[in-house]
Amino acid sequence: MELDAIPQPELEQIERIGGADLVIGILGDARSADEGTALTLTREALAELSKPLRAMVVCNNGTHSPAAVSPEVPGDKQSPAIFSCSLPPPAPGETPQHGISNAYRTVFAVGGKLGVRACCLIASRSQTAAPGWIHRLIQPVLDLGFDLVAPCYTRQKMEGLLNRSVLAPLHGALYGQRLQNPMGPDFGLSGKLLQRILVQDSRGRRGAERSLLASIASAAACDGFQVCESQLGVRQQSPTDWDNLSSLLAEILGAAFLEMEGRAAHWQSIRGSQTLPRLGHPEVPSPENPTPVDVKGMLQSFRLGAQNLQDVWGLILPPTSLLELRRLSRLTDDQFRLPDQLWVRIIYDFALAHRLQTISRDHLLRSLTPLYLGWIASYALEMQAAGLTEVDSRIGLLSKAYEDNKSYLVSRWRWPDRFNP
Amino acid sequence: MWDQVGQALRLSMTKMLSQLASLLPGIVALLTALVISVAFAWALAAILRRSLKRFDFDRRVAHWGFPAMAEWSPASSPTLLLTRAIAWIIVFMGFLIGISAFDGALPSQFVIRLFAYLPDLMTAIVVFVAGSIVARFLARSVLIGAVNMNLQYARLLSVGVKWLVTVLAVTIALERLGIGGGIIRLAFGILFGGIVLALALAVGLGSKELVSRSLERETSKASGSNVKEPVGHL
Repeated sequence: MELDAIPQPELEQIERIGGADLVIGILGDARSADEGTALTLTREALAELSKPLRAMVVCNNGTHSPAAVSPEVPGDKQSPAIFSCSLPPPAPGETPQHGISNAYRTVFAVGGKLGVRACCLIASRSQTAAPGWIHRLIQPVLDLGFDLVAPCYTRQKMEGLLNRSVLAPLHGALYGQRLQNPMGPDFGLSGKLLQRILVQDSRGRRGAERSLLASIASAAACDGFQVCESQLGVRQQSPTDWDNLSSLLAEILGAAFLEMEGRAAHWQSIRGSQTLPRLGHPEVPSPENPTPVDVKGMLQSFRLGAQNLQDVWGLILPPTSLLELRRLSRLTDDQFRLPDQLWVRIIYDFALAHRLQTISRDHLLRSLTPLYLGWIASYALEMQAAGLTEVDSRIGLLSKAYEDNKSYLVSRWRWPDRFNP
Repeated sequence: MWDQVGQALRLSMTKMLSQLASLLPGIVALLTALVISVAFAWALAAILRRSLKRFDFDRRVAHWGFPAMAEWSPASSPTLLLTRAIAWIIVFMGFLIGISAFDGALPSQFVIRLFAYLPDLMTAIVVFVAGSIVARFLARSVLIGAVNMNLQYARLLSVGVKWLVTVLAVTIALERLGIGGGIIRLAFGILFGGIVLALALAVGLGSKELVSRSLERETSKASGSNVKEPVGHL
């Protein structure tokens, strides 16, 4: 178990507590995840459960303050006991995703030490995380016997695009489970799954490199744990930092590709995918945002990439894909559509090049940015008049393309030199 | 008189033959050294060629950022270029060893000076190779970064950075070899200054677009501060 992840004062406090039923990580940004909010959210969530439970709350308030205890009334077995501690401040230069992964590691280590039955991770901003979120993520674990509860958010059609275009369909094609958000970041886990992830994390040779954010859903799928989704409602996202989009892509896709490489022996034999139980009722989305999407700028980035990055892409993509991209770069804005098959093969070829380290991994992942912007532009143009149902069926088609082209990925993964169309 | 002429001829012939005889061991040693070095070079080249082919060296060289190396190589194969270069170096070393077998002062001095020059030559080669690798890596970083920042002059910037580092590496290597002296320094100053000026212009012109885009974004944010960003990624 990664006890190094737990700071010494917290470790002493955990040893004094002895055991707990739940560990809850409120890991949103430091300003919003204050201890008071975290404790209020937890108290409200626990009050909805059928039995009183002992819970440890780990919050990211950035202060690393001494642990607080909501006192247990002697003889009162009806009210829940809540203990809390805070995460150490993030290391300088730590990226947000890396910070979340490290925070997960600490929460898991606390949970492992306390021998909890369930763990809840809330990494979205705590202002948006309603008290119901903790309940919705924990209740299926405690009452219905699920091992992983993945989040299902209410989204507008232009939200969650990296999830829609790569993460969710790739997870479905690789591991055979259709999840809306395989990388969370809000999860409910059983104690069993938590222990398994801890063991894998400490045993894995490249544990430090692999992100826990990417390995939770894949670990559950590969090791036969019971997985479901829970409707959480609207999730407020940080505004896009367009100047650092390539850093976001490098971080998220780097973690997903590394996880894919680590579990190659498992996913190569999986064919098709299954829909998982989705608990709760979907929230009705608010009216569509009237701000138009800057498709022109995205297409300009795509064309600039097609014009200048041919040498770099030439090391990653086969000639047929390069030709197709060159043809697309000559189309007018209205005609521009990136076919699903081409997009899927691009992602598979990038994953393969990431594994083979054809070029520096950072260069590789950052050079995907113009292609991703091309996909967004194509999707925005195609879906500009579409409703949410049409968007869902469009994404369903993309997921099918990922599954249909999996044989291409498997062939290239096994024989990268011999199979090069 | 004829006796004296005959004696003089015999003496000069004896002298010449004895001198030739004294050179003979050196010649044999030179030939032996050459034969051994050729055989060694051939064997080493064969082993190296096989290992590099197994390592898929030709493809990797292109992936490491040296696609041009295939163009300079015989049969477009960097493996052949490398193995042949190593073989010829070994043959040349064998030749030098053979020459030093002659006891003459001149060849010995030549060999000593040549060997004294070798560390500088090796340093220059290392500096040049390292410079080329760094230049290509930085050029690729700049190219990808500039394209992602939507700079129209991305390629110019990338080429500029590549040449900047290459010129620096070549100058250091030539200085190490003691070639050129002042002219090299002067040429370096002119080239370096020229490239920096070109890069400054490219960055300046590129930044104009960048700044205007950034200002546009800020203005649109300010005018509709309560309007949510339409695109989300996660």
